[in-house]
Amino acid sequence: MLSVFLLTCTLSACTGQTIEIQPAVVTLDGPGATQRVIVLLKRGTDIVGDSTVNADFSSANPKVVRIDSSGVLHAVGDGDTVVSTERDGEFAFVKVKVQNTKKPQEISFANHVIPVLTRLGCNSGACHGALAGKGGLKLSLRGYDPDADHFVLTRQANARRVNRQEPARSLFLLKPTLALTHGGGMKLEVKSPEFSVLANWIANGAPGIATQDTKLTRIEAFPPNAVLEPKDTLQMIVRAWYSDGRSEDVTRLAKYSSTEDLVAGVNDLGAVKVTGHGEAAIVVLFGNQVALVRVASPFANDIHSKVFSTSPRNNFIDTLVLKKLEAIKLPPSPQCSGHEFIRRAYLDAIGVLPTPEEARKFTEDTRPDRRARLIDALLERPEFVDYWSYKWADLLLVSSRKLPQPAVRSFANFVKRSVAENKPWDRFARDILTARGNSLRNGEVNYFMLHKDITDLTESTAVTFMGMSITCCRCHNHPMEKWTQDQYWSLANLFAQVAIKNGDRAGEFSVQSAGEGDILHPRRGVAMAPTPLDGKPIAPGKDRREYFVDWLTSPDNPYFAKAFVNRVWRNFMGRGLVEAEDDLRQTNPASNEELLVALARDFVKNKYDTKKLVRTIMLSAAYQRSSSSVAGNKDDDRFYSRYIIRRLPAEVVLDAYSDIAKIPTEFSKVAVGSSGGATATPDYPLGTRALQLPDTQLVSQFLDAFGRPERGQTCACERGQESSVTQALHLNNGQTLNDKLRNKKSRVEEWVTEKVSDDDAIRRVYVLALSRIPTDAEFARFRKLLAEAANDPQVSRREAIEDLFWSVLTSREFLFNR
Amino acid sequence: MIRLDAQRPAHFCDGVTRRDFLYAGAITTLGLTLNDYLQAQQTGQATRDTNCIMLFLVGGPSHIDTWDPKPNAPEEIRGPFRPTATNVNGMQISEIFPRMARHADKFSLIRSVYHTATAVHDTGYQMMQTGRLFAGGIEHPHIGCVLGYVKGARDDMPPHVLVPRPIGRTGGNLPHGHTAGYLGRPHDPFILNADPAVPNFQVPDLLPPAYISAVRANRRQRMRDAVDGAMQSFENNSQARQLDGNFQLAYRLMSSPRAREAFNLDQEPAAVRDRYGRTRFGQSCLLARRLIERGVRFVTVNMFETVFDEVTWDIHGSRPFTNIAQMSREVVPNFDQAYSALLEDLTNRGLYSNTIVTAMGEFGRTPKINPAGGRDHHPGVWTILMGGGPIRGGRVIGESDELGYRPKSRPVTSGEVAATLYRGLGLDVHRELPGPQNRPIPLVDFGVQAIRELF
Repeated sequence: MLSVFLLTCTLSACTGQTIEIQPAVVTLDGPGATQRVIVLLKRGTDIVGDSTVNADFSSANPKVVRIDSSGVLHAVGDGDTVVSTERDGEFAFVKVKVQNTKKPQEISFANHVIPVLTRLGCNSGACHGALAGKGGLKLSLRGYDPDADHFVLTRQANARRVNRQEPARSLFLLKPTLALTHGGGMKLEVKSPEFSVLANWIANGAPGIATQDTKLTRIEAFPPNAVLEPKDTLQMIVRAWYSDGRSEDVTRLAKYSSTEDLVAGVNDLGAVKVTGHGEAAIVVLFGNQVALVRVASPFANDIHSKVFSTSPRNNFIDTLVLKKLEAIKLPPSPQCSGHEFIRRAYLDAIGVLPTPEEARKFTEDTRPDRRARLIDALLERPEFVDYWSYKWADLLLVSSRKLPQPAVRSFANFVKRSVAENKPWDRFARDILTARGNSLRNGEVNYFMLHKDITDLTESTAVTFMGMSITCCRCHNHPMEKWTQDQYWSLANLFAQVAIKNGDRAGEFSVQSAGEGDILHPRRGVAMAPTPLDGKPIAPGKDRREYFVDWLTSPDNPYFAKAFVNRVWRNFMGRGLVEAEDDLRQTNPASNEELLVALARDFVKNKYDTKKLVRTIMLSAAYQRSSSSVAGNKDDDRFYSRYIIRRLPAEVVLDAYSDIAKIPTEFSKVAVGSSGGATATPDYPLGTRALQLPDTQLVSQFLDAFGRPERGQTCACERGQESSVTQALHLNNGQTLNDKLRNKKSRVEEWVTEKVSDDDAIRRVYVLALSRIPTDAEFARFRKLLAEAANDPQVSRREAIEDLFWSVLTSREFLFNR
Repeated sequence: MIRLDAQRPAHFCDGVTRRDFLYAGAITTLGLTLNDYLQAQQTGQATRDTNCIMLFLVGGPSHIDTWDPKPNAPEEIRGPFRPTATNVNGMQISEIFPRMARHADKFSLIRSVYHTATAVHDTGYQMMQTGRLFAGGIEHPHIGCVLGYVKGARDDMPPHVLVPRPIGRTGGNLPHGHTAGYLGRPHDPFILNADPAVPNFQVPDLLPPAYISAVRANRRQRMRDAVDGAMQSFENNSQARQLDGNFQLAYRLMSSPRAREAFNLDQEPAAVRDRYGRTRFGQSCLLARRLIERGVRFVTVNMFETVFDEVTWDIHGSRPFTNIAQMSREVVPNFDQAYSALLEDLTNRGLYSNTIVTAMGEFGRTPKINPAGGRDHHPGVWTILMGGGPIRGGRVIGESDELGYRPKSRPVTSGEVAATLYRGLGLDVHRELPGPQNRPIPLVDFGVQAIRELF
């Protein structure tokens, strides 16, 4: 029998579409156990549809299992059998084991009664889960507090709700079945499985929460992924697994949400409906467990496979990007031009514009590997150190907001030295997290001064090095992740033995490992065994910080490398594989998980070498694509079918203004406190670039308006990338750009003195600012406008050239990298 | 002049009268659309548009210490203050608001607002400013941005102005709901980004410097438009479109005399400025009045920029936060003075009859005083204030339970608060906005109603 099925399936696999039942293996445990199954259409390995509605099922042994027309398996008697379905001569089957049908059903309050109350809506916000309860009965919202609910149901209201002597006289059963009036109306059918769960629970003595209760260990959702089209629907199945090895169908009890409602939505019963193109993840929550169903809805493009097979592949990134593009049917844009590439590469890698001379040399270079050579050269530029030091100083909150100036310098120097020597990222993390000694000598020690509070230290470390926010778990289990409050306080306890001692000078203090001390779990009032997330508790006598870093930087750590490569990827690609860049969590999946894993693996293999990672990304054809769309990829904002344009960072724009005007920016005042005061500082000689500042407290209206991060909280969101009216007003009327152009020593002055022609001025501004020659149309427009200015008696030649600079330097092409 | 009670001549098939059509031309010049006009006529509301000032009490005021006193609760709950009578019979508020107490007929208290989302500041900002918690990747628009989207700009003034600055980081990582969300960046509020209380306050860079004449400024804009490389990449990118939109708005603002005047607080007599209080919040309230007077439809005033490093309503007790005593010494008098001045001033100028003033925080605070002498986040129940325009004053809507933990009667959600503001502003709460990818999204969720007792 079995071999026949297998044979049929194997044959039909060759013909294109096949069918499959999920879950493929089901165990029904206990009397009345049920499990819904779905019949899925497959093309190759892809699941492409749900045909459960049209399926006829048959049970090979109806004495073991019965299946109804909607696809629900019902336990009848103990044994093993198979249930099958047929479609156009193809068969699919599910193996069913039925056991313990003779054993009385055991009902757990937490695992059965509460999920039933949740499913029936009894403890929803609209009914008894409301803050004030309803009709005198108050349950915890969706059952988050089972102990309290048990007390309320069994003790309150003179214990009339649950009558252990005469279960049938329990208000708990009489009201929702409308045997007694019930404000909420009819909620519970007497013959329903839900009724029997509640009745059996009472009959068993209405037991409460027992420590030996089986625990929910994991949930799984079916199908794990699917490739569908708009208007397609799919009924998901969710199965829960318990610590005693039992599984149960909890599809109707779980909670669902979609990460992209515009691609696929989901209703309360787990029915998915596809509404647009792209990818969505359906997040399933049950108890404290999370599962995902990934739904891909390819774009409505008809693309020849040659488009993908002939698209350039420079390294493994391209293999994986193109694989995704082909799956989601997005055509890649062609490679960008040479002048686009040089400007882009300079800005993304080192934060400065190429000089006209550099741009010319590159354009004239005819060697086929000129882009690779340029990348290698950029990695060795001193500006590379400035740019990346600034980035990591953002991440580490290097700032005089909380640190005295000498400490800021010491911390900034540590970062800069580390970048300059291309210190491997694991070493960098270790240096910081195990820092000890004097804060003015060992800059990394300041990390602990910034995060003196243990919870802050724990949470900031998680964001900084794992791209993960665990703040929720400080007070309760994470609502969107598997992390529990217990795990949080076990992790926090790894940071409980940091001793800080004040020194004699400003900003001087020292950090040592204390060797004793614990932080207490606030609810339990005890110290948890110091344990990394999902890790093993520390053995006695070991240094806690060392132990944490060993775990963090071990090649198998699932977060450390991913978090870092995602940050670097975002710098170059405009959007993180996971977005936001520091929001890595199971319920926020990457747009290309395979690529994220591959990048992380490559990074680990290369011993956490940052420059190698940068080089790999910049060499990829994906990075070198044009930002212009081709037919069919206009709507792509996350699969890298074209280069994603983005506004330049505040510091980069300001430095570019200084370079182009030849007037450096003055950084002569540093903000003190949050009240708006400032004091003069001699620390930054004229010529210091914005990207060389060790501190974000230097007064600069421009940098504030353009979104310089405050370095107050560890979060990539601190950097503002939006454009605003304030920015536009500042560029129009503010001093920053206007004063640079008006300055007597500016490049404008030089050109006016040398009596520059209109055409020369236009061309030279374009080359300086945009690294390209103006088009004929642009030439024509500017000639006309400059002629108009020449005829305006109110406007001098000098002012006309200023206006020319101004217009190019405020254009979107200048302010954006593309 | 538009008369809404015009007699009814023959109707066209679609129910629109000939006379209405004649008026329609006049209406559009006033920034009204025909639909709004017809709707106003149906509901009998004045065409004199209603405006709104939303005072956002960043940090989350303790309801028990402010507008929902619990004199009969145990000491660790009722706190240090006693209730005081107001000029409305039976309405009591905490004694620390003596000036407000004299204006209680002008505002109503909603004492049963609650939310069930996570008790962090950010969720409350989202819900109170947009009426919804963000989910499914959709960012909803601020009520003021919706108003601006529907009614458009009046004169040269941006329809929605946010003063003095957006709420900064408050611990969470979520959007705060002060933007236009899915309506798109062009409908974002104009953000002041300056402290109106500093001497010689000016909107930064609002005016061109003397050396840039109007002709020159105009030519600069045209030159800027002359650069058009990579046109297609930029047209496809919302960030880039936003940049150009902002340049256009900036140009409109800098060339408008009315806008200049609206932001010029120096034109206010010293006595008026003193009456509001020479604090950032006081002068922001005064600026809000000036802006409303000159055509802005909606002003959001954030009382604080963050809950760190500032003495705010966020009274956890331990550093860096405030405790109850510090709140009553610094935060409360600041609010009491500015709020009462605003109500008085708007009333005296005849603006209160078409300007809603609402004051709200993002949640209440735990009834039980914590060991640090403060109170922590408590979205279980809190009190907000509302009055002006069609919203009645002197009423108390809903109540919290004896200990101030949760609503006891007439619980009110953020959606209902938004619905009330929308109705007060003359918008149909069932009106649909073009959501992401043009998916229609109603102003409030189906079934959510305005608080009818306030009208």
